[in-house]
Amino acid sequence: MSEFPSAPAPGEPVPAVRTHGLVKRFGAQTAVDRVDLVVPRGSFAGLVGPNGAGKTTTLSMITGLLVPDAGSAQVAGIDVWRDPAAVKARVGVLPEGLRLFERLSGRELLLYNGQIRGIPREEVARRAEELLRVMDLAASADKLVVDYSTGMRKKIALAAALLHNPEALFLDEPFEGVDPVSANTLVEVLRRYTASGSTVVFSSHVMDLVERLCDWVSVMNHGRIVAQGPLAEVRGNSTLNEALLQLVGARDHGEEGLTWLGSSSA
Amino acid sequence: MAWLFVRLKLRLIAGNLRGDTMRQIGYAFTLAGALAIAGGGFALLALLRTAPADLALNVCVVMFTALTVIWLVGPLMVFGVDETVDPARLALFPLTARQAALGMFAASAAGPWPLASLVLSLGAVAGLARGPAAVPIGLVAVVLHVAICLVASRALTTALSGVLRTRRGRDLLAIGVVLVILLTQVPNLVLNQGIGGDPREYLAGVTSVLRWTPPGMAAHAIADGGLVALAELAVLALVLLVLVELWTAALRRAMVTSDASTQVGSVRRGRLEGVLPGGALGAVVAKELKYLRREPRGRMGWVAAVGFSIVMMFSLGGRNGMDGPALAVVVPCLAALMIGLQASNAFGIDGRALWMNALVYTGARDIRTDFAGRHLAVSLVAVPLLAVLSVTAALVAGDPAAAPAALLTATGLLLVALGVGSVVSVVLPYTYPERVNAFTSAAPGQGGVAFAGSFGSMLATGSLALPVVVPVLLGFTWVALLGVPYGLAVAAGGRRLASGIGYARLPDLLAAVSRPS
Repeated sequence: MSEFPSAPAPGEPVPAVRTHGLVKRFGAQTAVDRVDLVVPRGSFAGLVGPNGAGKTTTLSMITGLLVPDAGSAQVAGIDVWRDPAAVKARVGVLPEGLRLFERLSGRELLLYNGQIRGIPREEVARRAEELLRVMDLAASADKLVVDYSTGMRKKIALAAALLHNPEALFLDEPFEGVDPVSANTLVEVLRRYTASGSTVVFSSHVMDLVERLCDWVSVMNHGRIVAQGPLAEVRGNSTLNEALLQLVGARDHGEEGLTWLGSSSA
Repeated sequence: MAWLFVRLKLRLIAGNLRGDTMRQIGYAFTLAGALAIAGGGFALLALLRTAPADLALNVCVVMFTALTVIWLVGPLMVFGVDETVDPARLALFPLTARQAALGMFAASAAGPWPLASLVLSLGAVAGLARGPAAVPIGLVAVVLHVAICLVASRALTTALSGVLRTRRGRDLLAIGVVLVILLTQVPNLVLNQGIGGDPREYLAGVTSVLRWTPPGMAAHAIADGGLVALAELAVLALVLLVLVELWTAALRRAMVTSDASTQVGSVRRGRLEGVLPGGALGAVVAKELKYLRREPRGRMGWVAAVGFSIVMMFSLGGRNGMDGPALAVVVPCLAALMIGLQASNAFGIDGRALWMNALVYTGARDIRTDFAGRHLAVSLVAVPLLAVLSVTAALVAGDPAAAPAALLTATGLLLVALGVGSVVSVVLPYTYPERVNAFTSAAPGQGGVAFAGSFGSMLATGSLALPVVVPVLLGFTWVALLGVPYGLAVAAGGRRLASGIGYARLPDLLAAVSRPS
């Protein structure tokens, strides 16, 4: 288990993402408590931790959708809250909860997204068609997003996030509720994307998937980073799942109780 | 079983209220309203004892029919509020359809509105029953009447629950609700136009038909109190039995039919994009035009605006009403105001999807473009609509020459409302509830913001539009020429002000329109 390498030595390349003492409170509850997140450029990074650990809140603050109470966040060395324009042009986001323009069709959603980003219409249309094809959405491109299934929504949202060819991609639970076929499509697209040197940061509950995909892991618990580094260092000799349970101090509920379960007598 | 369902219902009410002051206050208002209707209705019907017997009966027939119609239509408008109404929630329990029906009936009878209906209807016994036999017959009639209301209402919601759970069904219903509300104005209009002649004759004419409906028979049985009444009670009991059977059958079907809402067709690929300018402005206009067509909340607003102004056209222009240029101007102005006021929560329609814009907008300029696109889209649809209304109103008013002035004034008013709306949208944003509901327009806890927003923008629009509208109404028609330039200036000013405020508080805006609902 490594102590987190938060400050790279001078001369090292600027990390894709770096936060300093990020804090967010909701009423009396501190959702994010002095988080120093680092993600090296070009990595496929996983942000893991139990529900309520502060993963979503942290991602929202890094992408400029939520104002932090304290601390700062940088993407590619640019401060998110000092120069939002430069950061917004460089990142793509798939937020939690699949919040999309429900009454547009998949194709219209991509066209709208590209055009408000200032990409010429013909170019948007070309990229949209390719993305729809790669995401296996061509047949449903003219259906309204409100009628899409969860997997389709994740795929169209990822297509929208990729449309402007961002340097870094932030995905909140991209694989939650997604069928295996769609998940495979998502993974293929993301692998191709990071292979070209771009960065992906995604939060997930599915440890096997993180273990399979990521080369960099940050573990959060109770609003803090409890471990972060290359996957091999964080998990040590155990599986990532075991490492996580140990890091967050999962309780053992024991064998007592539930004696009636399984006998099927009544 | 019945008692279990009643307890479930009470627990759901209690759980819904726990720890939420706004909802507690709302429920207190509901209770007060139910109490007022129960007391007021009882008193009103009881007072019929002082009226001539035939008039008393006619009034009671109309009241009972109205109550039944409200029971049929009302729950459809708020479907989803009462979890004990949705048969899908019961599908997993080992219940027969009959048990489920009995339980749901008990649950639906436990609540302030059914009790209020019962008390109100008992007023008829106090008001109409003459003679000793009439009172017990009256009591039975009242119980049957209220039971028919409840069962018919449940049977209808159950039969439609499959439709109501689909997206399309709810979209259609939203429009239906507006039409129903507009239809309630028809009797009013008919009376106002003097078509029915003497109101009492008109009432008698209507009740001669309504008297043979179940609620009419219930009212008649109470007043009659003799052998005819007993026969009518038998018919009512039969109607109730048939309704119970229908309900059970609907329930049996609803528990095993699935939601097919995602099996729907595609939308046409737009030819629109070719005509519109490229870039962000064109994209926003295209998106807004699609939303006007596809979003039920938007369509509701437009249907209501046009419907309401048509109703006003006839009710203001009725006997000894307004006429001449004033009527021609007032009608399109009302429509313009109602359309314009819908822009008072521009980002609410985007709702949780607003992050997509927030992620792109890098300055006040982008928000100004966004507003400009929205205003352009609304104007593209509204101005032709206002033109038609202006011409129609001018013709009804008997002064076709007033149409141009009416259109110019109304367009000016619309632009003022849009300008005001953009400022209100960034100052008082709120979340629209996910389900379209005729009675609440904001997420829990944001009712105050929503009220302040629409009231504030109505006041501001009204006072900013006065310099144009009042002179035109007073006969200085040439002032209408200033309406459009003035409106354009206010709209541009509103956009400038709103974009500055809006960009500074974009994350707050996002949070305000993304509340769970």
